[in-house]
Amino acid sequence: MIRLGFPVKVLGVAGLKSHDTRRWQNGPHLSISLAYLRDILGYLRQQRIRFYRISPDLAPYATHPDFPQFHNQSAECQRELAAVGEMVRADGVRLSVHPGQHVVLNAPEQELAERARQEVIHQARLLEAMGLGPEAVVVLHVGGVYGNHHAARERFLRQAEMLPLEARHRLALENDDHRFSVADCLWVHERMGLPLAFDYLHFRCHNPEGMALVEALASCLVTWPEEVTPKVHFSSPRTATVVIEQHDAMSGRVRRRTRAPQSTQHADYVDPFAFTDFLRVAWNAGLRDFDVMLEVKARDLALLRLREELARFAPSMAQQLM
Amino acid sequence: MEEWRSDGQAEGVAPEESPVLVAVMNSPRDFDIACQEGWYRIPVKHAPRRLGAEVLAFYQTKAFGEEGWAINYCAPIHRIHLVQRRDLLPQEANHPRADDWYYKIETGPLQRLPHPIPSRRLRRITFIPTTLARLLSAQEINDLWLGSEEEERLWEAFKQDEMEVERRVFLREGDETYLIDFAAYCRQGKVAILCGGAGPLGEGSGLRERPAADYELAAAGWKMLRFSPQQIESSLEDCLASVRQAIAQEGGLLDSAVEQSLPPTEGW
Repeated sequence: MIRLGFPVKVLGVAGLKSHDTRRWQNGPHLSISLAYLRDILGYLRQQRIRFYRISPDLAPYATHPDFPQFHNQSAECQRELAAVGEMVRADGVRLSVHPGQHVVLNAPEQELAERARQEVIHQARLLEAMGLGPEAVVVLHVGGVYGNHHAARERFLRQAEMLPLEARHRLALENDDHRFSVADCLWVHERMGLPLAFDYLHFRCHNPEGMALVEALASCLVTWPEEVTPKVHFSSPRTATVVIEQHDAMSGRVRRRTRAPQSTQHADYVDPFAFTDFLRVAWNAGLRDFDVMLEVKARDLALLRLREELARFAPSMAQQLM
Repeated sequence: MEEWRSDGQAEGVAPEESPVLVAVMNSPRDFDIACQEGWYRIPVKHAPRRLGAEVLAFYQTKAFGEEGWAINYCAPIHRIHLVQRRDLLPQEANHPRADDWYYKIETGPLQRLPHPIPSRRLRRITFIPTTLARLLSAQEINDLWLGSEEEERLWEAFKQDEMEVERRVFLREGDETYLIDFAAYCRQGKVAILCGGAGPLGEGSGLRERPAADYELAAAGWKMLRFSPQQIESSLEDCLASVRQAIAQEGGLLDSAVEQSLPPTEGW
């Protein structure tokens, strides 16, 4: 069975927040975010969704150097983290987390790299405090190129190797859409064994080595330990026209202009035919099972719609998904 | 007690969208705890499906005399922790539920709302999840519900028509709980109005209790009207006419000041 998942925001029901978004002045707290997460788990249960990416901001400002008053949230919430983890395990839900774009482990600036390191450790500890198994991973990109692709890749490797074991064991690496390809990620894997989360759209956008889809997917899937189901990201490129609204201060009018979408942008929904083709490639090649995180703007709505579309267009495949 | 001040801004979120949990306050002792110690408790076993919120508002029951049957106060939520009753109320360490787990909702100072939000029909309410915007603009309890698009539309139409119906009435039959979107309590009977089939952005999608089937409602003495989203969208006036007719056939609406002994209400 393949678990379909969606990231962070819930759109299918009004007012279901992913985390405490209040500014630091208003004292946001992990305990409030965990209450939101508890509510989301109730929603996932009702929709029979068993894969979800939690917000990386679950514990607000937890690693922000200017706000030490927020640094103790995980310790203050051990009981609540364990309770949420118990719900997650009872429902058979897989959780993952994807730290924000500012978390760049291979940044040449020592301070930035150290912040990224602290963030990865923090995310791994949250998953640990929930008592989740090794399938709950922290997914990262290699990072920036900074003018020297090879050196940047090396720097990621060094930084990742210096992470404490608890964080390294949770880390997974994802190919991105214009800097570090599947082959680059494999290079890292061969040196330190990080599992690779294959991203379908990124692979389509950035594949300088010209790898075949089945080859790239297969080589990522085998990087996962036998007892851990690999995770794969799937999305379709946006094809709809982008409408940009600009407020003209002089006239007070709103001006609209349009432009073509970029192929790297994510669509609102999943192209069901591309998705079925993708799964058939994997199944025809006899590849191992994996879970699919749908990185689409319509989030859970897209997941529910994909289920409906598969039931219509590919009913036998739909039976293999949950 | 402070007067209302709107400073709960959230990063990237309009403050009016801040989630609010309305919870029942049925004891003056608990109200004193909320005022003086800044916390409120909910048993884990009976916690609402929507617990996460940034503001807690209190629906005070008849135990509060003139302030009863209304929401008068709210407070920002600071923390939500799991605590056993014996630690919450150490002076009651021998209580039969001393080992039970509770959500301890720690709050800031209570603030008086700009105006009370009364329940017209003196409903028994346990929890209502809503938003700050709704809390600050609601004229009565029924305004607080966050419904699907068509449900909201129908509610606005009922208000304009001065039809005093109740929203989100839960009907418990044995082990089952059914949801009635709107209930009209009439002199000779009851009318249930259902907005069938919520849209993709609505509260449908399996979140709510199963809507009651016609025969189940009929067996419980309800006259039923069911409107599709398309009917509400394209023929709202016809929908209203049907409701008016049904209410008239049941002898007209009961006086809203009469307590209806409605079942406790909780919703998403």
